[in-house]
Amino acid sequence: MPKPSDLLQGTLDLLILKTIANKPLHGWGIARRIQSLSGEALAVGQGSLYPALHRLENQGWITASWEDSDLGRHAKVYSLTPDGRKQLARELQTWNRLSSAVGLVIENA
Amino acid sequence: MRIVRIVKQRLRALLDHSRSNAELRSEMEMHIQQLTNEAVAAGMPPAEARALALREFGPVALIEEECRETRRVRWLQDLARDLLYAWRMLRLSPGFTAVAVVTLALGIGANSAVFSIVDAVLLRALPYPNPDQLVLLFQAPAKRPDALSTLSYRDFLECRSQNRVFSGMAGNAFHDLTLTGAGEPFLVNAAAVTPELFPLLNAQPLSGRTLLPEDGRPGAAAVAVLSESLWRSRFGSHPDIVGQSIALDMRSFTVVGILPAGFRYPDGAPRQEVWISVLQDPLFGPLTARPGVRLLGVIARLKPGVSLQQARAAMDTLDARLAGEFPAQDAGFAIRLAPYRDAVVSNVRSALWILLGAVVLVLLMGCANIANLLLSRATARAPEIAMRAALGASRARLVRQMLAESVLLGLLGGAAGVLLAAGAVRGFQPLLPPDVVRISPIHVGGPVLLFALLLSLAAALVFGFAPAFFATASNLHTNLKEGGARSGRRRSHHVRNFLAVAQVSLAMVLLVAGGLLIRSFALVTAANPGFDPRNIIEAEISLPQFAYAKPQQWAEFADELLDRLQAQPGLQDSALAAPLPMDRQGQAAFEFAIVGSPPLPPSQAAVADYTTVSPGYFRVMGIPLRRGRLFSRHDGPSNPNVAIVSETLALRYFPNQDPIGRQMRFGFPPNGNVPREIVGVVGDVRDVALAQKPGPMMYVPFAQAPLYGGEVVVRSSSGISTVAAAVRQAVHSIDKNLPVTDVASFPEMLGRSVSRERFRTFLLGSFSAIALLLAAVGIFGVISYSASQRSREIGIRVAVGARRRDILRLLLGQGAGLALLGLGIGMGFASLLTRLMAGLLYSISATDPLTFGGVALILFAVAIAAAYIPARRATRIDPIVALRHQ
Repeated sequence: MPKPSDLLQGTLDLLILKTIANKPLHGWGIARRIQSLSGEALAVGQGSLYPALHRLENQGWITASWEDSDLGRHAKVYSLTPDGRKQLARELQTWNRLSSAVGLVIENA
Repeated sequence: MRIVRIVKQRLRALLDHSRSNAELRSEMEMHIQQLTNEAVAAGMPPAEARALALREFGPVALIEEECRETRRVRWLQDLARDLLYAWRMLRLSPGFTAVAVVTLALGIGANSAVFSIVDAVLLRALPYPNPDQLVLLFQAPAKRPDALSTLSYRDFLECRSQNRVFSGMAGNAFHDLTLTGAGEPFLVNAAAVTPELFPLLNAQPLSGRTLLPEDGRPGAAAVAVLSESLWRSRFGSHPDIVGQSIALDMRSFTVVGILPAGFRYPDGAPRQEVWISVLQDPLFGPLTARPGVRLLGVIARLKPGVSLQQARAAMDTLDARLAGEFPAQDAGFAIRLAPYRDAVVSNVRSALWILLGAVVLVLLMGCANIANLLLSRATARAPEIAMRAALGASRARLVRQMLAESVLLGLLGGAAGVLLAAGAVRGFQPLLPPDVVRISPIHVGGPVLLFALLLSLAAALVFGFAPAFFATASNLHTNLKEGGARSGRRRSHHVRNFLAVAQVSLAMVLLVAGGLLIRSFALVTAANPGFDPRNIIEAEISLPQFAYAKPQQWAEFADELLDRLQAQPGLQDSALAAPLPMDRQGQAAFEFAIVGSPPLPPSQAAVADYTTVSPGYFRVMGIPLRRGRLFSRHDGPSNPNVAIVSETLALRYFPNQDPIGRQMRFGFPPNGNVPREIVGVVGDVRDVALAQKPGPMMYVPFAQAPLYGGEVVVRSSSGISTVAAAVRQAVHSIDKNLPVTDVASFPEMLGRSVSRERFRTFLLGSFSAIALLLAAVGIFGVISYSASQRSREIGIRVAVGARRRDILRLLLGQGAGLALLGLGIGMGFASLLTRLMAGLLYSISATDPLTFGGVALILFAVAIAAAYIPARRATRIDPIVALRHQ
């Protein structure tokens, strides 16, 4: 298994928002899902995941509630707020602009 | 709403932080458990699996801390903890806390009290819509722009119809009218106005209506608007008053409305009771047809977007037109504009700012004292601070902790200060000069509270910063080892000396300012008014036009009245005059010409104050005759016209000549050109104000220049009520319908004429006294501290043979050095700053050497006395105890 590359600065927020956009998830689930969706390429360390989740919650982009979960007990489940949904759209737009710009540079250089 | 969510989140973190932390912990725990489960499922023994999970997860405590940081409420929690701790520290040293809070309360209280006046007088908006658009219009000779006068009705109409800069313009004039038909006849303050005044100032009637434009047209029905107070006092608050008719000077007016008690124009003028159209006014109505009579005060509203400069330029154009069209009256005259607010408050503005500056200095001195106390405390607390630093508190954290203490002190002092200010404001209300215009009532309200709060916080930073900075800069090692007695001492010693010097120089500035005002006030009150006010009582009598239309009737009435007054027992001597010195309505000044002298150019027109008097006036008032003779009963209408002039007039306009026998032309309009022979010269009189040097004056006999009323002056040793009753009896024995008003004793009148000077002298004097006290406390503190720090040195000196006198000299020398340095700096500042108050001073200069010298001596003596107490205590130091102690 290749060593998961470090996440680009600022993309973690985008990944979290996108991951819980359709289905509310707890911290464990978010980490797992990012890892599996990226084909095990991206591993989110707990040291950055939880501070990021709490920051997003304190900024009002996501909200949390304690619910029964697949883990067999009460877990803190995060979901997008309406404002968070708009923020996700904004971040996606920024990301698309950035990645296509980077793509252009790589192709044409 | 995102913002609501964020606030909710933060509040939860703040108020329920134990639960938030528990949730955080269980969230982490769940993740770790999940990692453990996976490892167990892979076949690892549970204990090992958990250890692996913990390793994989990372430093739990650190991650939790990072999560907590995202709540952004740490600083608030720290602040709350710091304040709680500060509160405990302050309670542990009640002596220090009491001194600091009282000092601050004095400073902030004085500031808040003065600010409440500033707020009510200078900062509050005038109670009209867009008050900045309001301007007053005056006319003045182009060559003498300060000699402002009102406008004639014709010029008012011209000005109103021919400008594009004002959206509205209104005229007003005031006088007394006799109201009959509502109980006893009595005088009301009437305002003769043009109807535009009411929409211009947005005056809303209590009931009925105000005057309409058609009421101001020639030939309109006579209507009147009553004030609420008149309606309540004279018409029993009768709701049906609107529509009824009243009689003013025997002329019938229909009441059309009532104005609420709050309406008053101009602000600061005596309350008006009736408003009528100037064309309907029994006295001014006929005068409106005469273009030479300038009778209307004029207020106008600038159109939106029009600046004062543009309006002034428009007036210049108008001046030229008026001068061309009406050269007889308007040539050489210019219309001047003044913002209404300036005209209302200009007389107190500078004094108020100076007072506010003075109290800020007092507060700064208080801050210096508290800073000194805090420095001493910081020295005592050095081990505690060193311990905290050793346990990992950063310097910023320590400074914050100490500042929290200062802020708490500041808030406590501010709260006490606001209470003090509320008491002070109630206390000095009756002392306030009556002519200070209050746009809103003076009280400790919202703006004052906000001011006090900001001031408390600013003061806390000022006195708290230096001690916090120096206390936390100390060296950890030496502080722990030596109990902190030595470290940081040198630097904080410099700060202490600096503070003491600053206090002395601030005190010097304040004392000089207070001293100048006190000396100036003493000179004013000691000034000879030119007459003897003792035992003189005055009363005003006004003859209504309807009953006394002819000047001859006025003169006859005066003769008859004076005869009857002389016959009254208990009244030693009486006379009649109009106007009296210090008259509320001001003095009448007229131009005059000297017969046989070349006419003066208009720019230097000879002007003198004019008074018409009965023959006994000079005798009653004690005004001395210098040359010639006084008036007698023979100086009547059938004999040659005569005049008496004051010494100043004689000296100025008849230098090295004898004025007796010369003739002057002057008089009350329309008799401005009547020649009068000078028969006497009398002493000068301060007629405008005690603080104003006497100017030229001319007197004429009442019988030759009667007025429809005047002031009776009576010399009597009886009380004011006895005299008032006697005067009323005499007046009513001639005409039982005549009111006698404004009875007052003359010394009281004089006191009132200096009430403004007295008030500011009282305030600034009190501030200087506080300043002196604070400076003494400051020097005392520094020398006590120095003596206690040098006790070892002093012990050695005594041990090797120094005498008490030497020790005393050592410490007194230190105090004297600080005081002299402070005095020098303070004197420099004072000589710069007192220039600002030159306008408040009477007959002394702002750099009066006597005041500067005297104040310096007093301050130096007080500083030495303050240093003497701890110095003397130091001489009693027992060398053995002192040496063993350290």
